[in-house]
Amino acid sequence: MNNELIKRNNINISGKGVQPMVFAHGYGCDQNMWRYITPAFDRDYQIILFDHVGSGKSDQSAYDYEKYSSLKGYADDLIAICEGLNLQRVIYVGHSVSSMIGVLAAGKRPDLFENLVMIGPSPFYINDNGYFGGFTRQDIDELIETLESNYLGWSSFITPVIIGNSEKPEYSEELRNSFCNMNPEIAKHFARVTFLGDNREDLPKVSTPALIIQCHPDVIAPVQVGEYVHKQMPESRYELLDTSGHCPHLTAPEQVIHSIKMYLNN
Amino acid sequence: MNTQPFLEDAEDLYQNAPFGYMSMREDGLIVNINGTLLDWLGYDRDEIVYQKSFQELLGMGGKIYFETHIMPLLKMQGEVSEINIELKTKESTKLPALINAMRILGRSGYQPVYRFSVLDITQRKLYELELKKAREKAEQTVQRLKQVNQELEQFAYTASHDLQAPLNTISGLMSLLEQNGHFPAGSEGAKYFFLIKSNAQRMKMMIKDLLEYSKIDGKETEFEEVSLNEVCGIALEMIENQVKENNATFIIPELPSIDGDKIQLVRLFQNLFGNAIKYRSEAEPVINVEFEDKGDQITVFVKDNGMGFEQKHAGQVFGFMKRLHTHDRIQGTGIGLSACKRILEIHGGTIGVKSEQGKGSDFYFTLPKNYEKAN
Repeated sequence: MNNELIKRNNINISGKGVQPMVFAHGYGCDQNMWRYITPAFDRDYQIILFDHVGSGKSDQSAYDYEKYSSLKGYADDLIAICEGLNLQRVIYVGHSVSSMIGVLAAGKRPDLFENLVMIGPSPFYINDNGYFGGFTRQDIDELIETLESNYLGWSSFITPVIIGNSEKPEYSEELRNSFCNMNPEIAKHFARVTFLGDNREDLPKVSTPALIIQCHPDVIAPVQVGEYVHKQMPESRYELLDTSGHCPHLTAPEQVIHSIKMYLNN
Repeated sequence: MNTQPFLEDAEDLYQNAPFGYMSMREDGLIVNINGTLLDWLGYDRDEIVYQKSFQELLGMGGKIYFETHIMPLLKMQGEVSEINIELKTKESTKLPALINAMRILGRSGYQPVYRFSVLDITQRKLYELELKKAREKAEQTVQRLKQVNQELEQFAYTASHDLQAPLNTISGLMSLLEQNGHFPAGSEGAKYFFLIKSNAQRMKMMIKDLLEYSKIDGKETEFEEVSLNEVCGIALEMIENQVKENNATFIIPELPSIDGDKIQLVRLFQNLFGNAIKYRSEAEPVINVEFEDKGDQITVFVKDNGMGFEQKHAGQVFGFMKRLHTHDRIQGTGIGLSACKRILEIHGGTIGVKSEQGKGSDFYFTLPKNYEKAN
């Protein structure tokens, strides 16, 4: 059972501590995103890294379009990982869409989680009746188009042939190793689920203490969105970093490490 | 002629290269841009340098893609290549571009920067769209053809199968008529009866061949390692009577094994062997099977000493229901050789013939040894 789970989500366990810290990557890449963060927690925690099904080196064949048509499918996977590895008092660190996956999992199984750390969370990306999400429906369609160009453009005339070509394993290996390379159909599906999903109502249901890490400016999850999440989650703390972009764990890892450590030590 | 080394002026090359160049800081702020890219985007230098971030040159979709794919890749592996993205010009038109970028470690006093090369792919993009459309159309057509084919196969199978039953009844009734002596020999009735009977027989033969032909594509082919000697043996057993009646001699050497569908390969040899006897000459039929090993594939020859035909008809004999002789002269449906052709197509091989009137025919076909590898 565990072996299957480990293979399905490409789970990697390290660290010298006892309390588990589970890191979940955001849309587009895989667990490699955490490479600048995890060394800082290696000594005091057990580090659990994994890839969402469909991303990175997870088991692509386990991608069930129906199950993953909402973030609940991913939240169930997260719960299964915690249960399968017998994790208790989990400190969950989720980036971007994985923040919401954490919200759903903690809402369903509060007993498993001690803290949530949410980097660049957004419960809904689309502007709606006074709610500011930062995007219009057309923007998301444009993203899907960009994805199509990069995954399904002329390269798609080549890649499926290469991937399916057992005579040339070196090519498929190279493609598989690329951090941000996903099966085009899965990439599009995951993009739709991520950017069109609305999880605003799930925020107040979470009683687990949470840290919200916000950058400015962040085009994907603007400050207003971070503040909204903070307001909706009674047990949350809000931390605005002095850096821009959506991936501070890559661009300003020392600030991210500092705020997580400060939060956990208090 | 001056052959001294031509020295490029680095600044001129940067500014006027037939390529866009740009450098940005880690936070995206553009710190340098070349004349070519400025020209493409329609901006003045001072509107961009230290004024705009790279993200500001992207549409919303591009911005998300930048944050979720390009930036993480740049941070983690220090470079990206062949990213297809649209840049926004000052006039808000879109410039389809292909981008490569790499990190340049900070020189003293400078932060690390990312250098971008930008290729205008407006025309390539149009071409790509055409290709995409063409591919989608082709996929749809293939899908439709597959369905039509399936329906036709089903139709051919059902029609020929269902026609068999009433025809069998007719044949049975005719036997009864014959046994009961309803048509005295030499009478007009006997003449008509003979014509009806021979036509019914011909129809029976046609239906049998049609049914066999429709079975080739009708069921899933099962590829396995097949000994061609075994296949020839079974084929000969199936035409045993024909062989005996004509006192035919078959000379078959030791043949290799190949990947194939055994039932179909038996049918292939059965048809070729059967034809070699059916279209015999005065001489007793002698059929020589030979083969050549050509590495990945083999060529098999079935040579006879039969009546042969003019080489100009060689293309015609494999046509569906095409015949060189009338049914009255030599019975047949014109389905056997087209079935052979279809079987070879399924096996990734080809078939051909060399013939000369009065001197026999030499049918040859190729078969890949390893079907998977060949396809």
